[in-house]
Amino acid sequence: MKQLLAAALLAVSAGTALAQPAPRNTLVVLREIDADNYDPPRSTARSAGESIYMMSDTLVSLDWDMKTVKPGLAERWEVSPDGRTYTFHLRRDVTFCDGKPFTARDVVYTMNRWLDPATRSPVRWRAGPVKEIRARDDHTVEYELNEPYGELLYQLSLFFASIVDQATVERLGPNFGVQGFNGTGPYCWVSWTPRQELVLQKHPNYRWGPPIYANPAPQVDRVIWRVVPESQTRLAALQTGQADATQYIPPIAISQLRQMPNVRMSTQENYFWDYFVGFKVDKPVMNDPAVRRAINQAVNRAAIVQAVWFGSAKPADAYLNPNTAGYDAEAAKLVPGYDPEAAKRTLDEAGWRMGPDNVRVKDGQRASFLTYVINTQQSRQVLEAMQADLRRVGIEMKIQMWDATVGWGRLATQEFDAFMMSYPYVTATDGFSLYFDSRNRPTPNRMNWSDPATDRALEQAKVALDPAARMAAIAEAQRLVAAANVWFPVAREQLWVASSMRAEGVRAHGIYGVALYKGLDIRLTR
Amino acid sequence: MSATTAEAEAPRRPGLLARLLRDPAAAGALIFTLLLLAAAALAPWLAPTDPLDNNLALSMQPPGSPGLPLGADAQGRDMVTRMLFGLRASLLMGFSATLAGGVVGVLLGFLAAFYQRWLDGPIMRLMDMMLSFPAILVGLAIAAIFGPGLSSVVLALAIATVPLMARIARGSALVTMRLDYIEAARAIGMTDARLIWRHLAPNCLSAIFVFTTLRFGQVILLGSALSFLGLGAQPPTAELGAMASEGRNFLFFAPHIAVIPCIGIFAIVLAFNLLGDALRDALDPRLRF
Repeated sequence: MKQLLAAALLAVSAGTALAQPAPRNTLVVLREIDADNYDPPRSTARSAGESIYMMSDTLVSLDWDMKTVKPGLAERWEVSPDGRTYTFHLRRDVTFCDGKPFTARDVVYTMNRWLDPATRSPVRWRAGPVKEIRARDDHTVEYELNEPYGELLYQLSLFFASIVDQATVERLGPNFGVQGFNGTGPYCWVSWTPRQELVLQKHPNYRWGPPIYANPAPQVDRVIWRVVPESQTRLAALQTGQADATQYIPPIAISQLRQMPNVRMSTQENYFWDYFVGFKVDKPVMNDPAVRRAINQAVNRAAIVQAVWFGSAKPADAYLNPNTAGYDAEAAKLVPGYDPEAAKRTLDEAGWRMGPDNVRVKDGQRASFLTYVINTQQSRQVLEAMQADLRRVGIEMKIQMWDATVGWGRLATQEFDAFMMSYPYVTATDGFSLYFDSRNRPTPNRMNWSDPATDRALEQAKVALDPAARMAAIAEAQRLVAAANVWFPVAREQLWVASSMRAEGVRAHGIYGVALYKGLDIRLTR
Repeated sequence: MSATTAEAEAPRRPGLLARLLRDPAAAGALIFTLLLLAAAALAPWLAPTDPLDNNLALSMQPPGSPGLPLGADAQGRDMVTRMLFGLRASLLMGFSATLAGGVVGVLLGFLAAFYQRWLDGPIMRLMDMMLSFPAILVGLAIAAIFGPGLSSVVLALAIATVPLMARIARGSALVTMRLDYIEAARAIGMTDARLIWRHLAPNCLSAIFVFTTLRFGQVILLGSALSFLGLGAQPPTAELGAMASEGRNFLFFAPHIAVIPCIGIFAIVLAFNLLGDALRDALDPRLRF
């Protein structure tokens, strides 16, 4: 009955949602927000990546297992014995959207532009400690590093490293990725109306898609990336055939959508998008490891994740997803399980005594801390539930929710004690270098975690030549951080893509949180 | 001394309550308002559960579930408790904002009317400027500076109330100022402050009082809107606008979480508007019969 009602309401609201059914041979994809721009090195937005992966290609691609690096624009590559020089052999049949042939010079230009401080790329560090990138001939690129960087191939599979055309970049200047684009991808830029839609059309010559797809060429004539901010409207549009796919589904709707006959659902087990609460380890109260440990023990993670995500996320009982390259199971055992009695004991032993207002006190300091978060439904619900759990053991958690427009600025300050966030990562070294390297203070290392041993381990995880040594180093970093309870890991989101019945071959990939990736196997039946 | 005695014996209209109760809508509004105020004041004693204690196992239980006449919210908290405390927060917010904005606005309005030559222009132009900013915009700006929270909302609402109050106060003060007894009080050498306090203010009060009652409903509505946008009450505080905002994500799945607080807001605003209308009728000498 309840489901019937929900379905009826969805159908009613669909009437006013969007104007018309999705046009023939045009894939309409819905998303929640637009990107700031579509220039690969200049945006870190997932929405930018969604379209850039379709408009351009990277040297290497990532398989569905999120571990295996597959060919992309480079059909093969070699790594020198000292781990400092990568030689990429490029495909010879590739052209840009404007028909210009793709050569090694384009790779050199793209990479140098990414590294150029004038580009102001927020993700420049991902390119590694580059010494020089040169074209040996038209179809061979040498990527030389100052020191080994085991992460390089993973990083080059991210959309920031997408190859762009020099002439178009120079013609459009700062408007590249705003007024136009020229890449080698399966779809080409047609038009962008910010906060409404981005229209792409099929790249007619494209047949060099990554081998992870059955089809090396696109199957659909046009793709429209349409922004629909309201989740209920997105669901209604999908069910009534006004749209073909979306990954922006409220968790509460997933189980219902899976039972609906007119919607297909696809998921991806190897999806690395985690939610966590981080503690500023140098602030009063938070600087007591016992408090951080007690918080980890006091909060019923499994119940919260079930109540907030309705089974579409898994409780994060470790700092990383077990399917990540570089995950260490021993470190995962150091993360305390839910045990409120143990939390009380931990606090008692550390000298935190229950105060008159049911908040513990030690040396005149109340066990109270302030949490900043950007206002989203999930973060609000998770933190409120945590707040209630912590109250039961005598810890006061204050929550301050910020609008996204000012929130990111506030989260760069030192005025709060804890924060909640979610983020995508490719490997253990990728995620940990981002957050736990002391050089990344104050952001993204908002915990102010500054530990020489962690820094050394992260360095080794990147530069060691022997894969086993790299593995040992990243495992060490995970153990150091987990033992100190720098985070309360919350949830591992699962990726779901809902698609209409006419769209076949929609499969969730999930690189950098992007579900459709290149979308080469997607075919419309009518 | 004799002036003081005269003031004490100034004629007061008897039977305001009687006149109010004669109108069924007004009587209903008055009784309902009193009930709301009582429920808000007694919330800690009336509430069946602790407002902050959650039970995720009961998350989104529909109204009528065992022990949960109004159901439970997403955190599994009893909606009856949340509504009582939400009512309390909303009324307190409306009351403090109306009071703060009212006191400042009335004072400015009196000053503008009383010292018309020097202050009327500057004050009233400032009020016009303030009127041109929508309250939501003021709220956004204040939340951006001080951080979201109930106090930011109160400040924003008070600021939005000041120019309206100033206009009402100035208008009725200008009328009163032309009356003979003001002239008489001036003639016996009464100081300005005393004149305003003893003669001007009491005679402008009914208009201000009526407007305050009407404004209170609007303030609650505006405050709920700001809270709905996430600028107001921070978790875990219950506030009607914030509760509606939280519930809108589950509108298709657990409508009661959003609908019940919305009904609450609707009822408060309606009650205060009816009360304001009735008060205006009762206090207006031209409508007396």
